[in-house]
Amino acid sequence: MDVGNSVPAEAAFEPLLQFEMEMGTFLSEWQHCDHVSTYLARMISHNRTDPVRHSNFFSSALNELLEVSFRGGTSSGQIGLSIYRHGPIERVQITFPCPAEQVPFYREAVQKIDRSDAHARYLDSISTDMAPSRESVLLDLAINFDASIRIEESTSPAVTLIVDLPLEGLVS
Amino acid sequence: MSVAGLSPNFKVAFDANSQVFSLAGVIRPRSVDEIADSIAMLRQAIDDVRGVLYVDVKRLIQMNNTAFHAFVRVALDACRARADLRMVIVTSSVVGWTTRMFGHLNQIEPQITVEVYDSTFYPGQSFVEDTSFIPILRTQTKMTWRHERSILPRHGLRPGIAMADVCCGIGDFAVLVQKEFQPARIVALDHSKASLAYAREVATNFGITDIEYTYGDASEMLLEDNQFDFVSCRHSLQIFNERELLLKELYRICKPGGRVYITNEKNSHCLGEPRAQSIQWTYNEVAKLFSHFDMDVELGPKSRRYLADAGFDDILVESFMVTNLDGDPQDFADVITAWENVYAGEMAVRRGDTPEFIERFRQGFRDHIFAALHPKGYAGWPIWVASGRKPT
Ligand SMILES: C[S@@+](CC[C@H](N)C(=O)[O-])C[C@H]1O[C@@H](n2cnc3c(N)ncnc32)[C@H](O)[C@@H]1O
Repeated sequence: MDVGNSVPAEAAFEPLLQFEMEMGTFLSEWQHCDHVSTYLARMISHNRTDPVRHSNFFSSALNELLEVSFRGGTSSGQIGLSIYRHGPIERVQITFPCPAEQVPFYREAVQKIDRSDAHARYLDSISTDMAPSRESVLLDLAINFDASIRIEESTSPAVTLIVDLPLEGLVS
Repeated sequence: MSVAGLSPNFKVAFDANSQVFSLAGVIRPRSVDEIADSIAMLRQAIDDVRGVLYVDVKRLIQMNNTAFHAFVRVALDACRARADLRMVIVTSSVVGWTTRMFGHLNQIEPQITVEVYDSTFYPGQSFVEDTSFIPILRTQTKMTWRHERSILPRHGLRPGIAMADVCCGIGDFAVLVQKEFQPARIVALDHSKASLAYAREVATNFGITDIEYTYGDASEMLLEDNQFDFVSCRHSLQIFNERELLLKELYRICKPGGRVYITNEKNSHCLGEPRAQSIQWTYNEVAKLFSHFDMDVELGPKSRRYLADAGFDDILVESFMVTNLDGDPQDFADVITAWENVYAGEMAVRRGDTPEFIERFRQGFRDHIFAALHPKGYAGWPIWVASGRKPT
């Protein structure tokens, strides 16, 4: 990613909160996804126009990202989550350690979201997959939450997903 | 039923009589196995129904993709196997993502349609959610607050508590409570987007930022159980056709030991002198007009029974009379003008009343205003206040 280019846009995003947890602890309990998403959603939504509904919507999206990390993550290192705001958009940046050979699959899933057949592929995944794939979860965010999604890679085997959620506009 | 390992809020049920399969609460399983029983119940429901299966997700608060895919799979397979089957998924406009997610299914399978249940869901909705109600509510609260501010502490309102004002209208009550009683948290909920927009603007103008205004259906709220020390619902039980359902929700969100506070009218008891007879005739007709639209503006004195039947204890009931002598008589006259405009100008017209009837109907309001502004006149509007405690 070209960091130099994106600096002015990044600067406009104000940090709201940061959350970190040992990956081992996170993976010890499936309910962490639900609890963390519910709790953080409530915290960041209190000054939105409709805090109750914003929190419900946001928790839905965040939970899916946490579930992706839960299912794909490895137990060494930390899961890190930062939430930023710019106007009607919340940005979720989530980083979790994963096996190096998995990284390309995330990259590919993210790239596919921008393709013109995204909607058709989303419908296809609903009508044929028994369980949602990583790709269909990201498509769900893009299509049902109007999210835009990017991926950043680091040298350590980890994935960082940057997901912009314009939920304020969807909720009110 | 609720499922081990999943949130206790998760509920799934099938009602064979109405052919409704419903999913409610938070459903975020790790794998399909955890919801195997619910999936089996849906399969069974599909086998049992003839014609249309309703899938009610209006109280579905959260559902992850794992659960969504699993339920949808069963639904789509069933439609493919049975050309006679139709499925109607009932969503709520309050939980925005459900309508979006389930909305795709129709594109995959035309036998499945999605209905947003709360687009037209109670008989008086078009009047009550319209902007025409705004002037009524604004003048009313100004008049009732003079009385309620000293009544409220007897019913449990005090600083530092968490409270919800359900059916908050234009939110001025929440603003007044916030200023006078400084609760730690106020959530104000209504199903009128016009009123909420107005409410947010009023709060902003007063520099008040900590009232959480939220769009919702009072009979299906997103708010969690046992959250509030004080739950108010003013002038609204009387306009609901499903009163028990509303009371159940007020009860649910109230903390054990907390109180639910309701105010209601008995319109036929509005009064005035001089011209008492014409005034009385009109307000008797107001009560009939509302009941035509399934609203009971005679509810006030029935509050005690409603609260008792809903399971509250330590019930307190009192009444007060808003009169032309409370402050500026013109305020009283403004309330009546607002009533005349909506009741005679809109509701009677909608009922199909004759011009002669409407003229006589209007006359009673004008006479009430006459009484209010008369130097020796007296005009009154009685309100019943009741509250009950949720047992601990
Ligand atoms: C008569 S007004 C009372 C408003 C306010 N409590 C007051 O005293 O000024 C009734 C209110 O109930 C709201 N309402 C009606 N049905 C509702 C529902 N199902 N859920 C939420 N609000 C509802 C209407 O939009 C309206 O604002």
